[in-house]
Amino acid sequence: MKKTVVSMMMAGALVAPVHAATLDDVENSFYPYKNGAKEFSNLKPGMTINQSNVESVKDALDPAMYKFIKNGDYEIRVGETTSFDLHESYVEATRKNLNTTSLGEKSGEINGFVAGRPFPEEPSLDDPRAGEKMAFNFKYGYNWGDTGAVYPFYWKFRDMASGKEERMLKFNFHFLNYKHRVKQAPMPDIEPNPSNLFRGIYVQVLEPFDVKNTQLLIHRYEDDLKRDNAYLYLGFQRRVRRLSSGQTTDAFLGSDLMIEDFEGYNGRISDMKWTYKGTREMLMPYYNHNDEPLDPDTHKDEDGYQVVSFTGKGQCFPNVSWQVRKVYEVESAPVDPNHPLSKRVHFMDAQTFAIPRTNAYDRKGELWKIFTIGQSHPDHHLAANKGSGVSIDDAFSMVDLQANHCTTGQFKGQLDPKLSPEQKFSVQNLRSSGR
Amino acid sequence: MTKKITTLNTLAIGVAAGLTLSYGSTVSAGEIEWSGFVENATYFRDKKGLSKFRNTAQAEFSKSIESDSWSNVSINGVLRGSYDGVYDLNSSEFGKDAQQQYLGESWHDNSTVSSSALLTPGTPFPCENDPTICNNLDGYMDQDENDAKFAEFNDRLDFIREFYITADKQLANGDVFNFSFGKQQVVWGKTDLFRVLDVINPVDYSRHNIYDELEDIRIPQWMFTAEWRMGSNEVLDDSNFQLIWNVDKFRPHNMGTCGQSYVMVDAGCFFSAKLAGTIPVIHDVQEPGWDLSNTQFGAKWEGVYGDTTFSVNALHYRQQLPSIHWRGPNPATPAGDGLFDIKFPRVTLLGGSLDYYSMNMDAVWRMEVAYTQGEEQPRDLNGNAETDMLRYVIGFDKNLVIPSLGTSSAFLISTQLFGEHILDHEADMPMDEDNWIATALFKGWYKNNRLSPQVIFAHDFAAKATAIAPSISWTPDNHWMFNAGLNVKFGGDEKFPWSASANVPGNAGVPQYEPLARFLNGPIGVANQEDEIQFTVRYSF
Repeated sequence: MKKTVVSMMMAGALVAPVHAATLDDVENSFYPYKNGAKEFSNLKPGMTINQSNVESVKDALDPAMYKFIKNGDYEIRVGETTSFDLHESYVEATRKNLNTTSLGEKSGEINGFVAGRPFPEEPSLDDPRAGEKMAFNFKYGYNWGDTGAVYPFYWKFRDMASGKEERMLKFNFHFLNYKHRVKQAPMPDIEPNPSNLFRGIYVQVLEPFDVKNTQLLIHRYEDDLKRDNAYLYLGFQRRVRRLSSGQTTDAFLGSDLMIEDFEGYNGRISDMKWTYKGTREMLMPYYNHNDEPLDPDTHKDEDGYQVVSFTGKGQCFPNVSWQVRKVYEVESAPVDPNHPLSKRVHFMDAQTFAIPRTNAYDRKGELWKIFTIGQSHPDHHLAANKGSGVSIDDAFSMVDLQANHCTTGQFKGQLDPKLSPEQKFSVQNLRSSGR
Repeated sequence: MTKKITTLNTLAIGVAAGLTLSYGSTVSAGEIEWSGFVENATYFRDKKGLSKFRNTAQAEFSKSIESDSWSNVSINGVLRGSYDGVYDLNSSEFGKDAQQQYLGESWHDNSTVSSSALLTPGTPFPCENDPTICNNLDGYMDQDENDAKFAEFNDRLDFIREFYITADKQLANGDVFNFSFGKQQVVWGKTDLFRVLDVINPVDYSRHNIYDELEDIRIPQWMFTAEWRMGSNEVLDDSNFQLIWNVDKFRPHNMGTCGQSYVMVDAGCFFSAKLAGTIPVIHDVQEPGWDLSNTQFGAKWEGVYGDTTFSVNALHYRQQLPSIHWRGPNPATPAGDGLFDIKFPRVTLLGGSLDYYSMNMDAVWRMEVAYTQGEEQPRDLNGNAETDMLRYVIGFDKNLVIPSLGTSSAFLISTQLFGEHILDHEADMPMDEDNWIATALFKGWYKNNRLSPQVIFAHDFAAKATAIAPSISWTPDNHWMFNAGLNVKFGGDEKFPWSASANVPGNAGVPQYEPLARFLNGPIGVANQEDEIQFTVRYSF
């Protein structure tokens, strides 16, 4: 008994916050640009970074993007830094639950989390678990708000050398948070929730014909140590198959993305060793969708909405402007020695905790896959998204350097909760939405 | 085939015409979503040559309808037409003139007396060759050659593969009531290739034995379904209750007419044979007509409990395989105008399914069981015996990334073991009291999933028969798909004595192929001479 008390006290000491966060920390976390962005003498809005001037802004680029520009594969248009304020309800939840969250003894364990950003304080290189805290800030981020949909979502497979489009898949993606909700009723949790699910992801393939009606449902548990439950409905079988969800390194439907790559990282926190490497000011693809050159061909609808266009080598890069952002560099190294990657280097946006840039390295330590997620300000996107306080995933590019191949994604992100009711995240919905 | 056009099919024509008119006159093109494909499937069989030259066009549509009181209202349909040129291009092997030397020539040698001295060879397409047999088989296995060439264009309007309306009603407590009616497929269960609970729709095995996707060979039925989708509660993550009422005129499995390139367990040729050259094997097919009391109905409750999904199923339906009933005054004396009548008895099924995700194994276990009362199994004495049946399957699925095989896409490894137990087994039944069939699928993906090799393996333990089907498909873009495959079988050499052969001196108790061993050798064993190389090309839109 005595031993147990001592070990509990030791554990408590180990997992307690390095220092208690303050309301100022919250303010700084959510509004880092209230006094303006850091200025670079050789980096100004309106300029274009290309082969000729890339050396002068090397510090504002990650190694992979630097290499692409240096090779002439891509040019970056620089925009003005703008604040992507997350919804006040999420910020207020952070204030309200400040210092109630702590990491558990094991990686992936978290205690006391209710809602908002769990660790709003500035990370410290002296904190050995700072990287894990950043990972939890991402996991519990305001990524698609309480519910969101990419409706529709176009994925194109391209030969990077020739630019030939090999295949295009058209999806609908839906996201629902069962827990830690801050804006849409019910809050904070949807009840009943007997399995203590954290999040649901529902994917429906619309085109092409050979995979039409394929549907994927992922139930993510609140307990990070428990694997997802995944269900697949195949249109040609007309039945729901359970999937073994541990294969998160599977190339999703033949794309260059692993399931684990979605949204920057889509696995268990406990599957990685997380290391905070420092805070940087870097160019990141943050922009106003409506101000960008758009693709008039891929998507047409009655809203007049058009998706982001692509440019550069093989049409593999989003044709969007980039701005200087405060970024946390965080490495995640797989715990499993058989994982195909040796590590990912994530560049997490400090204000939104989205992951707009990730570089992945193979087992030999060589750069393998380059992932970019373009983020649009919601007030310059669909009119219905205005005021949502969500940094909208708007375009992605995954380049497989070794295969000289890429997969691009063009979004119509919609934050209308009617598109993603709870019923959509049920196994029965797979059957009823199939044929 | 059925010669009467049913009321339901008349209704189908009316609604289809109405929809077409609406589409043509008042509804903009964007409101109906169309997709589909055209396809050629060309198969070559060892020693036979061309065995399939099927050209298919399929169109699928869906039209949403706005409603103030209902949601997700839509009309959906699948139209399919095909022409199989094998009967024109290889008429010596398949078709009305494809005479056989002896009964069962397509799957065994002529070494036993029952297939040479007692029974005549099956009559190919009897309605083209033998009016008596044609008349006896009226309503079942009475296709003429044109019916086989143009499989969907018949009195049951099979070119309308599906045509149904579905709608949701949101209830005040958040539950959803769904209603659908029309010609449709309703799928129960979790198995591939063989069916345990997936028995609501009969199956067209004449298309390609057991090997085509069930979606393409289930015979859609006119059905009402009602679902009460209750969602989650304090215990279950999901819960759903379904009622089914199959109001269509009963249809049995299509096992293939003698003369077609796929005749399941060669039944079509046995049914079109004669005893001693004069007495037809089949006297009459007693296919139940449409009557309220002949409709079929069932219920299913399913849910999700933690890592487990489950269903409990009940169905009152008719046996879809033919049951033969001896007509003679006693087992030793045949009736002069036909040995057997074919009947389709009433069956009650109770069953359930369950699958479980094992995190430790990172694999899914599937289980399914069905207990039936009222089925009839073939036997020597009297042709059949009613017996309770127990069928079950245990399956294991794992998705596994195998980097050493040169792809980052996970391979699908899926294995199944089917079991069948005849509860009231008799010694004169050709089927074993217990039998098992094992299947395995290994499927991989390369080149961004555009190149997909797979191999299917199936082994019937009682038949000592094995099928191996490796194939590879190439999808160069969003429209074209090319598939090449092999389908090779081994075994199917089991024999079973037929008491009538004792009438031939020296043959009492001697194992025979005909007619009973076809049931023992099953769909894999009886197809043992159907080794094929198969090519399919499809353009989808």
